[in-house]
Amino acid sequence: MAINLATQKILVVEDQSIMRETLKHILGSFGARFIIEAESGINAITAMRIDKFDLVLCDYNLLRGKNGQQVLEEARHLKLLPVNAIFIMVTCEQNQDMVLTAIDNKPDDYLIKPFNRQQLLSRIERCYTRKKYLANIEHEIDSGNLYQAIHHCKKLLQLDDKKMHLQLLKMYADLTIKVGDFKAAESIYQDILQDRELPWARLGMGVVAFSLGYYDQAIKAFQELIEQYPVMLEAYDWLVKAHELLGNNEHAVSSLNSAVTLSPMSILRQKKLASLADKTENLPVAKKAYTATIKLGKNSIHGSPGDYSGLANVYLKSNAANEALKILYELNQQFHNDPEAKLRAALLETAIHQAKGNKELTKQAYEKVFKLNEQFNKQTSRELRLEMAKTFYLNGNTETCDGILNDLIKTNIDDKLFIRDIVAMCDAVIGPNHAETLIQQIKKELVDINNKGVGLFQEGNIKGALSIFEQAITKMPDNHTIILNMVKIIIHDIKSSNPDPDKIMTAQSYINKAVKIGIPHNQISGLQAELDTIQYKTNP
Amino acid sequence: MPNTHILSISFPAILASSVHDIKNSLTSLRALLDQLEHHYQDKKPSEFRQLEFETNRMNNCLMQLLTLYKIDLSQFNLAIDEHSVTDILEDVVAQQSTLLALSNVELLTECHGDLFCYCDNTLISNALCTLVNNAQRYCRNKVLLSATQEDGYMVFCIEDDGRGYPESLISSDYKQLPQIDLANGNTGLGLFFAETIAQLHVQGDKQGFIETDNKSQFGGARFKLYLP
Repeated sequence: MAINLATQKILVVEDQSIMRETLKHILGSFGARFIIEAESGINAITAMRIDKFDLVLCDYNLLRGKNGQQVLEEARHLKLLPVNAIFIMVTCEQNQDMVLTAIDNKPDDYLIKPFNRQQLLSRIERCYTRKKYLANIEHEIDSGNLYQAIHHCKKLLQLDDKKMHLQLLKMYADLTIKVGDFKAAESIYQDILQDRELPWARLGMGVVAFSLGYYDQAIKAFQELIEQYPVMLEAYDWLVKAHELLGNNEHAVSSLNSAVTLSPMSILRQKKLASLADKTENLPVAKKAYTATIKLGKNSIHGSPGDYSGLANVYLKSNAANEALKILYELNQQFHNDPEAKLRAALLETAIHQAKGNKELTKQAYEKVFKLNEQFNKQTSRELRLEMAKTFYLNGNTETCDGILNDLIKTNIDDKLFIRDIVAMCDAVIGPNHAETLIQQIKKELVDINNKGVGLFQEGNIKGALSIFEQAITKMPDNHTIILNMVKIIIHDIKSSNPDPDKIMTAQSYINKAVKIGIPHNQISGLQAELDTIQYKTNP
Repeated sequence: MPNTHILSISFPAILASSVHDIKNSLTSLRALLDQLEHHYQDKKPSEFRQLEFETNRMNNCLMQLLTLYKIDLSQFNLAIDEHSVTDILEDVVAQQSTLLALSNVELLTECHGDLFCYCDNTLISNALCTLVNNAQRYCRNKVLLSATQEDGYMVFCIEDDGRGYPESLISSDYKQLPQIDLANGNTGLGLFFAETIAQLHVQGDKQGFIETDNKSQFGGARFKLYLP
């Protein structure tokens, strides 16, 4: 399939001017007219903020600052690349480090230097053909309509295009897992494995076991995979998750440590290792991982103030207050006008002065925390808010502490791992049963709200029921029961009145949210089917 | 004192960094050649062809060197995935396209049906490129690159119309590098590399291998790479 480069917006990211010239020359000879050049990662990001590119050719080894992978990560994270854009990584060799680090954020293809014009063109054309073929599916995934994406997958599979067959099956299986239809995923993987031993299908079987809650079986599958394919990072990542959910944090740290050794450039893995090792009081590993995270974070969108305070706290735990002070200084240097950084810095200051036994300075720092909290509390991450709660408690402000805890429990009631973190903090600092009592209260409150809403609904007061649930959702945006009930009521409302496109859209957006936060398939699929039927009737 | 720590950087790091620099230089060199070539209208000096061949060869050598070195250190892992055979053939032709345009050699490809191959495509296309590059040098004017399926193997075949392989390179044991050819063109190393890469490809009880003979349908050398 011929691609018309004349209509394409192209970005060339390359630090060597001679290579930029060459690429421009070649692209120009294929008709390209709109070519922007960037010689560094930062400039590439700026260019992508200004223009929406169709094609990005990006060198991996950029002389200073971000490397190509970090550019890709940032562009995808900030949604600077259109869904159908092609990103090709240009490299000197397909080295394992680079490919492994890219595992969660793959470019559309790699192109290895040196290459000639024909190689470049054929690579672009191949990506273009593939993207075009999968465009419908990717658009639906991008807008969160996973059921619609599955529908497109099935349609394409029926066409039986051999060249795309396995790739489609892989996407199809991934999607069924995402919407929680594990039985469907299992049968896809089993069919594939009957024909050929493919590592990703074997991994899929493990993920199915994991998702069904058979953690021991999943762990066995992931361990077998790692034995057979020692560089299969996804298997390590799943293994870590399984250990974590079983409460085996030590095992999780050791598996994650192996994965980090394979992909030391992967900041998100380093970050996760740091916090897990911190939780298990494995200070040497935590220190190493935080330090690596900070270093990588300087060129990465995933660098955050929390990495600095994490490291500083590890120093405090090892009685090295002066080292912690140095990190605090770096934190202040690195981030400006960032509320999270300001709060973290104030918290750290409090802890450092406390460790040094300076009461007056501790008090001053704590007052800063108090003021910043009033200003920014709700805008910061939940991990930071949990730390704030702890600081407030330790400084005698139990009321503010409980306020934050209540809010955190409410919004995260269905997130087992985070609730476990809250309980662990309370047990260690406040005392046993404190968190449990709060959780019970909130669960009761939830049941009451739910009953009230359902009661109004049964009385036929749909408006009243909707308003109860709408209020509840603003307070508890990720609560499973409330979202599901909300969808049920909206669907009922649509059915009993004239189908209103706005209401259909609202219902779909809640279903998408339900999928996103991991509500099981068997609870959603029926609602999606009902909504599809309504939609089909209004717009066949 | 034992001299084990004379180098403060590990040799693999030095090798990787050197290869990286040379590859950048090669890319620039090719770019410059390309620009230079544009100064000539129809008839381009035959030196360009030689230059293109040499840069291809330098690149192939470097890649082989690095891969073999990693294999030797057991630091190498294949990136096996499913690849369309036509894509692999297309990659080889694209890589050779500049050289082909400068010579009077015809590179034909033949692929029977929608074939798929489970392999590390970067390595396989590199191994094939090296051998096609050499075939271009030793043929008269025709090279055929084809792919077929035989008894559960994917078979890539390179045939030319040249004078054929010398006796020493015909289905011998490629693990024994023929001394003579290391000094005189790198055909021996290319075959050794292909054999090594083939053997890394294993599926069940089957392992990849290569075959060489002079039974080309055009009367020259024939190379076959079998992948399970």
